[in-house]
Formats: sequence, structure tokens, C-alpha cells
Amino acid sequence: MADTGKKFHFLDLRIPLGGLLSFYGIILVIYGLLSNKEVYKKSLGININLIWGILILALGVFLIGFAFFKRRKAVNNKDKL
Amino acid sequence: MSAIHINLIDYLIIGGYLLVTMLVGYLLKKYMRTGEDFFLSGRSLPSWITGLAFLSANLGALEIIGMVANSAKYGILTVHFYWIGAIPAMVFLGIFMMPFYYESKVKSVPEYLKHRYNNATHGLNAISFAIMTVLMSGISMYAMALLFKLMLGWSLTASIFISAFVVLIYIFWGGLSSSIYNEVIQFFLIWLGLLPIVFLGLKQVGGFSGFLERVPQTFLHSWKNLGSAANNPLGIEWLGVVLGLGFVLSFGYWTTDFLVVQRALASENLSAARRTPIIAAFPKMLVPLIVVTPGLLAVAVLPEFSQTAAKSAEYNSALIMLMGHFLPNGLLGLAITALLASFMSGMAGNVTAFNTVWTYDIYGSYIKRGMSDKHYLRMGKYTTVAGVILSIGTAYIVQSFPNLMDYMQLIFSFFNAPLFATFLLGMFWKRATPKGGFFGLLAGITAAAGHYLLYKFHVIGYTSEMGANFYQAWWAWLTDFVVTIAVSLVTKKKDEKELVGLVYGLSPKAGERKKFYLRPELWGSVVLLAAFILNILFW
Repeated sequence: MADTGKKFHFLDLRIPLGGLLSFYGIILVIYGLLSNKEVYKKSLGININLIWGILILALGVFLIGFAFFKRRKAVNNKDKL
Repeated sequence: MSAIHINLIDYLIIGGYLLVTMLVGYLLKKYMRTGEDFFLSGRSLPSWITGLAFLSANLGALEIIGMVANSAKYGILTVHFYWIGAIPAMVFLGIFMMPFYYESKVKSVPEYLKHRYNNATHGLNAISFAIMTVLMSGISMYAMALLFKLMLGWSLTASIFISAFVVLIYIFWGGLSSSIYNEVIQFFLIWLGLLPIVFLGLKQVGGFSGFLERVPQTFLHSWKNLGSAANNPLGIEWLGVVLGLGFVLSFGYWTTDFLVVQRALASENLSAARRTPIIAAFPKMLVPLIVVTPGLLAVAVLPEFSQTAAKSAEYNSALIMLMGHFLPNGLLGLAITALLASFMSGMAGNVTAFNTVWTYDIYGSYIKRGMSDKHYLRMGKYTTVAGVILSIGTAYIVQSFPNLMDYMQLIFSFFNAPLFATFLLGMFWKRATPKGGFFGLLAGITAAAGHYLLYKFHVIGYTSEMGANFYQAWWAWLTDFVVTIAVSLVTKKKDEKELVGLVYGLSPKAGERKKFYLRPELWGSVVLLAAFILNILFW
């Protein structure tokens, strides 16, 4: 089954994608905490950077976590064989 | 447009995206050993990735900006491009057509025509498709450069060359896989970048009911005013919507455009390939939330687009103005990145499809046949460079066309609409002959051209440009359909043995033993039902 071997080794997109989103989340949260209220006149007084940053960070961490969880499961399965 | 000020954090976000895309290309480089790896991702991707890429390949920034503009101009009628347009066609592709594409092991949509009909049909389609992709890629690039010029103050030429360079690098390294991975990243960015506008906007107008007092009644119903062309802003009645858009244009685009079908062909097995368009149909159904709502918001919130304003409103800038209106720095950078990502993947998608069609369907079929896989892989890489350079060229040509959306619809009605008839008969009627296929396709394209001329010289008239496009697609399809049947009845048909696996009824039923919750039929029915309910809700 050379085929499945190849499938196995393909780059897991969840890692770069999760990494990018985590990076966005972190800088948006920091910026949201540091920036003054003036900036949020546009967004109806809501600190949307902070709120949305937390959400994006959570999504990014979830994706990375999911990828590692999958990988560990795969490694465990290999050991059993 | 001067209301938009970009600062360091926005640039950090844009830069982070560019870096990650190139990194992904670089990491994929070592997996690209054979032609199949480069052109078809080694047929090894899981369906969640191909499904999201399938949707994103179509969700280019041009589409987003254009559909927001459409919604600001026509209101909720724009949902027809989604709930009657796309969804049924995507389900049809997944359930009925994908087995023939995937099981026949073709590398491209034109290649199917070679096996089913003959070389002439194949060549006609391959060449017209190659031209179409290069033109479309140029449109994406030009629109992106324009956006960057307006928002960031970069020069047109600098924007064109920077984006072309990034796209070139990542496709050169990772081929179709790079393209697909970037489409998935883009999928996430588009939602994350545009949803804040929807939330803030709805908060300001006071929810969907807030639209009632700020937007004309005809903007808020999808079917109610389609009784006659004069009663609704779109200028077309229900028959044109159902036949032209719902049937011909949508089915033509979603089931035969190699740009989208290529994503499904990269799936790891037939079942995943069939699930691909159906998985894509779910988020597709929700896309109106991030395009139609902003369009309505523009009418309700921005004075430039209110009903009392001059009719000369620049609708294409609606989305950008909303971004400037609602988003603070930070999220502004994210929204710009989302648009950047969808422009780049729109371009990349066209370049990878062009690669494959050029290398296998034109070069490998008619110029140098039977060379080694290595030779074609190298050719694919050179073609990437050539494709990007050609796109830069077309980007400058496109500059001279005033309305990009009309131009795109026009291209589709020329090439995709008749092609759908050729495929439909090819896959489901074994009596269709090679000559029938060729002359049918040729007649369909000619009919589209003829209709276009008649319309341009005012021999026939429509209430709106869009109406003309819908009917042009319909007549082109019908001509192809009738001519293919007529010619087939008087010409020699192919031996049935040659058609095994290509035509319905001659193919062994694929013995898919999948758990019921993985079956495409189940999810196809679910998404159709949901689309039906949405149509009723926004009647």
C-alpha cells in the first residue's frame, strides 16, 4: 500500500493555517488592549479587535491542537502494527 | 476612498499572510515528484480540503466585490446566484457526474471529451479553455492591482508584479496542492474578514427588520416581484432566472469548468470526490450572508448608495467603502488580507488549471506525445512561468474594459453554457456520436456569438444586460443540445466498448460501501432541502 504511505506524509494544512490564525489572534488582542478608544468610533464603540482577536486565536489554537491530536493518534496506530 | 488609513498592524497582517503562503509552497515542494503530484495533488487530498477549495476557487475577490455591488444595486435578488444558481448544480455534479470524471481517471475536463467524443472536440475545448483561464487570471490580477492602488496607494505596476511574483513562487513549488491549500486559507480569511462588517452593520440598522424602513420593498424579496421584468430591479422575469441562471449558466459553470472540477479530481477516492461539491454547497448556501447583507447595508447606511442619491453610484466600491466605514485598524488589515488572498487564489486557480490543460491537453496531446513523466512535470513548471507572464499581459489588456462583471458573464455564456449540453448528452446518452459532439459544441459557441451580435446591434432587446446574458446562455445551450442530437442521429456512433466508464448505463456500478452518513446522496438531499427553505423564507 504505497498509496496510503504517500497520503500519510502529505503536509497537514491545519498547522500553517492554525499558526497564521493564532498569530493574527495574538496581535489583534494586543492591539485591542493597547489602542485607545478613539479608534473604535467607527465600530460603534465596540472594541472589535479584542473580541474578534480572541475568537480568531481560539480557532487557530483549535486547528493546531486538532492536527497534533491526529498525528499522535496516527503514530500510536503505527506502533500497534 | 481617502477615508482609509493603513498602519503598522495592518501591514503586519498582510505580511504574515504573504509569508505563510510562500512557506506552504516551499514545504510542499518536496512532495512534488511526479506529474500527478504536481497537476493533481497525487489524488490524495481529504474531502474537507478539496470541498473548501472547490468553493473558494469560485469565491474570488472579483466575485465578492461584484456580488456586493450587485446586492447594492438589486437587493436580495442576488441570492438567486446562490440558492437557485449554484446549489442544485453542485449537488448534481457530486451525485451524477463525478463518478464519470473520477473513475475514468482523466486528468482534466477536456480530456474527458477526447475519450467520449474525439480529438477535434477535445482540441476545441482545450484551446478555448486555455484562452479563458489566461483572460480570467488577468482580470483577477488587474482588479487586485486596482484595489491596492486605491487603498494602499501602491502603483498599478508594482501591485501587479508583487502579486504575480508571490503566486508564481508558490505554484512553481507546490503545483495544484499549493493552489488548493491557499484556497482553504482564503476560505477562512474571507469569513473572518467580512463577518465583523455584517455584525457591526446589523447592529447599527437594528437587525434584519431594520432594513424594512431603510431599503425599498423590491430589494427585500427574492421571488415575489419576478412576475414580470419591469417590476423588479434586476430587469428579468422568473423564466429567465430559472432557465438561464438556474439551469444553463450554473450547471454549465459548476459541472464543466475545469477550474472547479480539478479540485474534486484531487480527492483521495471516488467517495471523497463526490462529497467535494456537496461539502462546498453548505458554506456556499451561507455566502449571501457576507455578500448580500453588506450590499443592503451599503444602501441603508452609506449616503452614496441611498435611494435618493444619484444613480451614478460606483457600486463596485461598495464593499471597500463599508470596510472603511466600520472597521478600525487591525480588522481593516484582516479584511484587506482576505480580499488579497481571494484575488491571489483566483489567479493561482486559473494558472494551475491552465498548466494542466496546456501540458496534458495541448502540448502532451498534439505537440509532443509520449514523453516521460519528468518531461511533462518540467513542462508544467515552465508553463507556470509562462501562464503568469501571459496573465500580466492580459491584466493590461483588461484595463480597457469598463465593466468587469459583464465581461466575465459574457465569457461564461460563450464557453460554459454550450459545453454543458455536450457533457450532459455525452454522459447520459450513449447514442451521442463524436461528430455530433463536435458540431454541437461549435454550433453552441456560434449561437452565443450570434446572439451577442444581435443584441449589440439592437436587433433583439432586453430590459437589462443581465437578462441578455441569461438568455444568451439559454439559447447557446439549446442550440448545442439540438444540434448534437440531430448530427448524432445521422452519423456513426462509437463502439460501446470504448464508452465503458464514460457513459451512464454502460459503467459498472461503483461498489461504494460507505457508512450512510458519508453518502453524497444523503447530504445532497439535505442541502437541497435547506436551499428550498431559504428560498421560501426570503420569498
